[in-house]
Amino acid sequence: MSSDFKPNIVGFLCNWCSYAGADLAGSSKMEVKPYLSVIRVMCSSRINSNLVLTALLWGADGVLIAGCHPGDCHYEQGNYYARRRFALLKKIMETLKLEPDRLQLSWVSASEGKRYAEVVNKFSDEITKMGPNPIHKNPKI
Amino acid sequence: MNSTGKEKKEKTATGKILSVEGDLRKTIKGLLKKLLKNNTLDAVLVPMKAPETESYAWVLLEDETLLDAADPLPPVMTVQGGRALDSITKQGDVYLKIGALMRPCEIRAAVELYKLNQVKLEHIHLISIDCPGALPLKEYMDNPIKSKENFEKIVQKGDKNEALRPVCQICQHFSLLSSPSTEETKASSSPDTENHSAADLHIGFFGGNGKKLCLTASTSKGKDLLEKLELSQDDSLEYWKAAGEKIRQSALKNRESFNKEWQEKIGGIENFTTALDACINCHNCMRVCPVCYCQQCYFDSKILENSPETYLQRAQERGSLRFPLDTLLFHLGRMSHMVLSCVSCGACEDACPMSVPVSQIFSMVGDQTQKSFQYVPGTDRNVPLPLQSFLKDEFCEVEIPCECDQSLLGKA
Ligand code: SF4
Ligand code: SF4
Ligand code: SF4
Ligand code: FES
Repeated sequence: MSSDFKPNIVGFLCNWCSYAGADLAGSSKMEVKPYLSVIRVMCSSRINSNLVLTALLWGADGVLIAGCHPGDCHYEQGNYYARRRFALLKKIMETLKLEPDRLQLSWVSASEGKRYAEVVNKFSDEITKMGPNPIHKNPKI
Repeated sequence: MNSTGKEKKEKTATGKILSVEGDLRKTIKGLLKKLLKNNTLDAVLVPMKAPETESYAWVLLEDETLLDAADPLPPVMTVQGGRALDSITKQGDVYLKIGALMRPCEIRAAVELYKLNQVKLEHIHLISIDCPGALPLKEYMDNPIKSKENFEKIVQKGDKNEALRPVCQICQHFSLLSSPSTEETKASSSPDTENHSAADLHIGFFGGNGKKLCLTASTSKGKDLLEKLELSQDDSLEYWKAAGEKIRQSALKNRESFNKEWQEKIGGIENFTTALDACINCHNCMRVCPVCYCQQCYFDSKILENSPETYLQRAQERGSLRFPLDTLLFHLGRMSHMVLSCVSCGACEDACPMSVPVSQIFSMVGDQTQKSFQYVPGTDRNVPLPLQSFLKDEFCEVEIPCECDQSLLGKA
């Protein structure tokens, strides 16, 4: 069953770094697993928990947030705030045993096409291994 | 300057002692009366029982004779004091000196709102009082007379028994005399000690055996109040602190088993949705929560509305779909907004018509998350809100791949 499971992963990529990194991975014809639905945001700090939770509750098996490396955010400090919010959400999911591993935060710069491919491929493998998000089977959410 | 620790100790080492004349409540009200009479305060915000019914509300008083009807130790928390203060200063600072007599968790909520710039504290004098706890609102309203009798026993003995709301039984902050302070954060933040406190003045009675009160000031505003009260007798705080500490230690033990128990009970998607089964999405818990800070709540907005086709599709995917919708999104979302500021006051659970254990859930998650951010909400006005601040070098364990030892060092 899990062998033909194709995960549905939502990726929030910041416009200035990670989205460009994804672009580079594509134009350099690197192999990237096809499970990520990319949503471009201006900065990783644009992501609030509601967006991540909505994705997770209504269809995603995993959520990836990717932005510029610390120190490189185009709004200077956005990714530091994003990291705190993410750390909180992750801690909440961990405390409530709601599979925190389905959430991932990564830093990928515009020149790191290779790193982008690695991050996406590895996360895709992990989510495939975890199987479908049990939240989607729960009619009570 | 390098002996700040010692100085602080010296500063808080003594308090002013006052004998209880007849009745504890009357003595406390006497203090407020005096402050009104000698114009140190222009008004006070205090809890008061409704004359005709058994309910309580906050009243803002300028006339000291009206204070007779106030109850500084109400058996229930009908409206969180932080919320009441928020209503007063929402549109800006007041230019009257208001003394707000509140429970420590209400003061702490007010301090969280102050950090959000929603409560203005410039002219507000926060006066906290040792808190015996509060009874569950519904049980109280079912039988106010009997509940009050029970509550008086708790006030007299100072023991936090099962009659109190669950969050009161695990409360660490019932007395600002023995509250676990954020000593470390104090040391690391600005050297100005003025605002390193929740309340300006604290009134303690645990340890006084119903015969004595102990007052301590931690800001210049508090000191001013204390001065104008003209209390002559000093006492070392050691004894008073020890009395609170004893209660706190047993509450701490309760807290540990409470966390474990709740984590087991609600951990995992099945258990968690079961715990929320009764929720009717009325959002009362959000509305009464003092630290749910938005003018317009995201979960009340149209943004969550979808087309009928979407709902049909979702029902199809899941087999069925529960209405009301988005219960889990609401609770998890609300949590991820405010739980670091949750002061475990229990207001949400008191307001829940369906007896969902909301405050117990939020309190447990609050405790765990606050620990990971080394944050204690509302105890220190100078420590910024965790989501409004950051360190360059932190939480690298949530980054994948983790790179704290490589690029970050060179970049920050
Ligand atoms: S979530 Fe509940 S317990 Fe926590 S601060 Fe809000 S009302 Fe109080
Ligand atoms: S639930 Fe979130 S959006 Fe709603 S009032 Fe609370 S903090 Fe604001
Ligand atoms: S008050 Fe109770 S029923 Fe209403 S939304 Fe909150 S948990 Fe649900
Ligand atoms: S612009 Fe990329 S993280 Fe802020």
